[in-house]
Amino acid sequence: MKYRSQKIAWLFFATSLVLLVLQVLYGFIMGFAHMGYDVFHEWIPFNTARAVHTNLLVVWLLSGFMGSAYWVIPEEAGRELVSPKLALVQWASFVLVGVVAVIGFHFNWWEGRKFLEIPRPLDYLVVVNVLLFIGLVGATAWQGRRFTTTGITLLLGLVSAALLYLPGMYHFDNQVHDSYFRWWVVHLWVEGVWELIMGALLSYLLIKLTGVDREIIEKWLYVIVGITFLSGILGTGHHYYYIGAPEYWLMIGGIFSALEPLAFLGMAIFAMAMMRKGGRRHPNRCALHWTIGCAVLSFVGAGFLGMAHTLPQVNLWTHGTLVTAMHGHLAFWGAYAMIVFAMIMYTMPEMTGRNCYTGWIPEWAFLTSNIGMLAMTGAFAVAGITQVYLERKVGMDFLDVQDAVQVHFLGLVLAAALFALGIALFVWNFISFGLPADDLKDEPDQTERQPLKEAVT
Amino acid sequence: MLSKSAARLFFLGGTAVFSLVFLALTIDTLRQIPKRSNAEDMTDAVKRGHDLWTFNNCMGCHTLLGEGAYYAPELTKVVERRGKPWIRIFLKDPEAMFPGRRKMINYGFNDGEIEDLLAFFEWVGRIDTNGFPPEPDLAEKIQATQVVTRQTTSDHKALPQPEMFRTICMSCHALGGKGGVVGPALDTVAAKYSRAQLDLWLKNPQEVKPGTSMPKLPMDDTVRRELVDFLLSYQGGNE
Ligand code: HEC
Ligand code: HEC
Ligand code: HEM
Ligand code: HEM
Ligand SMILES: [Fe+2]
Repeated sequence: MKYRSQKIAWLFFATSLVLLVLQVLYGFIMGFAHMGYDVFHEWIPFNTARAVHTNLLVVWLLSGFMGSAYWVIPEEAGRELVSPKLALVQWASFVLVGVVAVIGFHFNWWEGRKFLEIPRPLDYLVVVNVLLFIGLVGATAWQGRRFTTTGITLLLGLVSAALLYLPGMYHFDNQVHDSYFRWWVVHLWVEGVWELIMGALLSYLLIKLTGVDREIIEKWLYVIVGITFLSGILGTGHHYYYIGAPEYWLMIGGIFSALEPLAFLGMAIFAMAMMRKGGRRHPNRCALHWTIGCAVLSFVGAGFLGMAHTLPQVNLWTHGTLVTAMHGHLAFWGAYAMIVFAMIMYTMPEMTGRNCYTGWIPEWAFLTSNIGMLAMTGAFAVAGITQVYLERKVGMDFLDVQDAVQVHFLGLVLAAALFALGIALFVWNFISFGLPADDLKDEPDQTERQPLKEAVT
Repeated sequence: MLSKSAARLFFLGGTAVFSLVFLALTIDTLRQIPKRSNAEDMTDAVKRGHDLWTFNNCMGCHTLLGEGAYYAPELTKVVERRGKPWIRIFLKDPEAMFPGRRKMINYGFNDGEIEDLLAFFEWVGRIDTNGFPPEPDLAEKIQATQVVTRQTTSDHKALPQPEMFRTICMSCHALGGKGGVVGPALDTVAAKYSRAQLDLWLKNPQEVKPGTSMPKLPMDDTVRRELVDFLLSYQGGNE
């Protein structure tokens, strides 16, 4: 840790993990409901469980991004955070809004639009909160000595994510408009500006962990986020095929969204190449595993499984089935959950001064959670493909099809148990790191002092 | 090779160009949506139905236009699939139509709210969605491979199916191998029951057999007579 104020990140990471655990619990409620054991129906009906599950996901990822920004920005800018006190206020209000929203979902207080269920009055609080956050990291970057590509990309991602929240706050009477602008938030977040955040954190971690020259890493960062926007903006069209928007979206959305996997492929190749090129063997192997794992699984979940149903000819049949859930899980896990985990794993030893990154616990946390998530994806895939054939292709009744795929939800719940074990180990690992210490490491980063010679182009 | 400033230019330039194209397409889309969605038919009832839809987060179990959750049926074409009378009965008490199966919340909607929801669903069903949801394209092929054991259509003795039978009873009962599985198949009821028994049963099943999962369905006397006539005529029933 270079600056004392960086340790505010710990609060955000701890918050992330608490919310993740809750998210998983609500996931189990839904898994069991799909299996036919809808035992909580009276108190937590499926739509409540789902809103809680997905909103907690978004909130804990944002919390992880904010924590990461509070860690990275001071270091990239070369100064303390402008006001650690206000950052604490920002954290507290963020948690408050999240908790109130989730409690509200249990009392029919929501907006009934997938992923944007947070009711309007709370939306305004979210805006104030995010403005405060952007103000803090923005001012820190502004007053700092230097502007790095990594820092700027991260800031750009955070600011655009905040701006793109606004179209989701408008009320439309027409369901088609409603849906059209809902995607400005949902799609342009995960397949646009969040990739900027992910790319920036990825290059921060690669600079730290592999020791490859910053100039090279940051050049490729530009290329990758360039491909992201080039394909991702018009790729929004893959959500406009069948909602009442004009027919040309079939063509435009199909072509550009088919290019989107290139950005993820780019990240995977980039991470692998830098790892190989880097001469330095950073002792924190576990952080490197999460970093490389993130780059690879984001390609599998978002790139490959996204591609599997993005062409209009395929999407006509799979649209709005469990196939989408299959893709949603591995994409969110690979791209965004894993980058947050990588940041946590990298920063915790720096923050606490304890080296709890060796031994069986962090290793098994990595293995079981990833194997569990891949198995969950498989269970969703089998259920989803069966659903597409029986319901959409053959025309069987919805509920009869759901009975036919019930058994795959037993598979899902078993896989989820393995996944949850991995999460439990990770949380245990996090706890054993303890609280942040106050010792600062003043020496500048090795990489910045002496760029490696073999790292050419 | 590629320099860092060239890479930056690629990023900034590409983003700017494609954002502008996207905005232009959005303007054109907004111009076309009113026509494609028949915005002029969006009555106050449709808007109230839409608000009920979002207020209760129905999308947290159902999909509409293919968006939402995967726990309950896709509802874009629900009016076409089930018909209004069926949906009216269903929304009054969801469990009545699917006893013992996956549960929907019983919202206790009043008649006005149900009509608003119906207006909303009817309007959604007419949006030009470029062909979603698609017609099942394997259904025909599968039927073609099966041996037809019973010629239901050429049963000259049977009366034509009443509307009510097709839209309501068939969702729970099968006839001639087609229909729901909640209740028993009705092919042989003519042999089992008399006219009076059937009439009494349809009037109020709960009275004949308390606790049965066949709901008391609202219908007037003529419809009930039609139904009983039809059931008795089916498969050469003994008048
Ligand atoms: C919500 C589902 C449902 C609907 C709708 C429904 N039924 Fe039934 N019906 C049942 C069930 C379940 C039984 C079996 C009752 C029992 O034995 O307790 C049944 C039993 C019957 C029987 C007796 C069958 C036998 O073999 O004993 C007849 C006749 C019948 N229904 C006619 C109708 C007609 C006509 C309609 C349409 C107006 C209709 N039902 C609509 C669920 C339904
Ligand atoms: C907790 C999940 C849940 C919520 C919330 C929910 N539904 Fe349902 N709904 C279901 C299930 C499950 C079915 C399938 C039939 C059954 O088992 O009751 C269904 C069936 C239906 C059907 C009949 C569809 C068909 O083709 O059979 C309609 C219409 C419907 N729901 C409307 C609504 C409306 C309107 C709302 C919001 C006010 C809503 N639902 C909220 C779970 C839900
Ligand atoms: C990290 C990046 C990604 C994440 C987190 C992600 C997540 C999701 C989620 C959660 C949904 C469901 C959205 C909803 O219905 O509201 C979805 C839908 C979809 N995604 Fe992705 N996705 C990512 C990248 C991609 C990519 C790169 C592609 C294409 C190559 C893609 C193709 C699709 C398609 C076609 C749908 C619509 C499915 C349907 O019609 O039901 N996704 N995605
Ligand atoms: C124990 C673990 C989990 C279980 C059992 C589980 C189960 C489920 C179920 C049953 C659904 C609802 C599908 C439907 O609408 O019918 C769902 C939705 C979703 N879950 Fe999970 N989940 C788990 C963990 C996770 C994790 C860790 C993530 C993110 C990394 C995640 C992301 C999502 C997303 C994005 C959706 C919405 C998908 C869509 O709309 O297409 N889940 N989950
Ligand atoms: Fe998308």
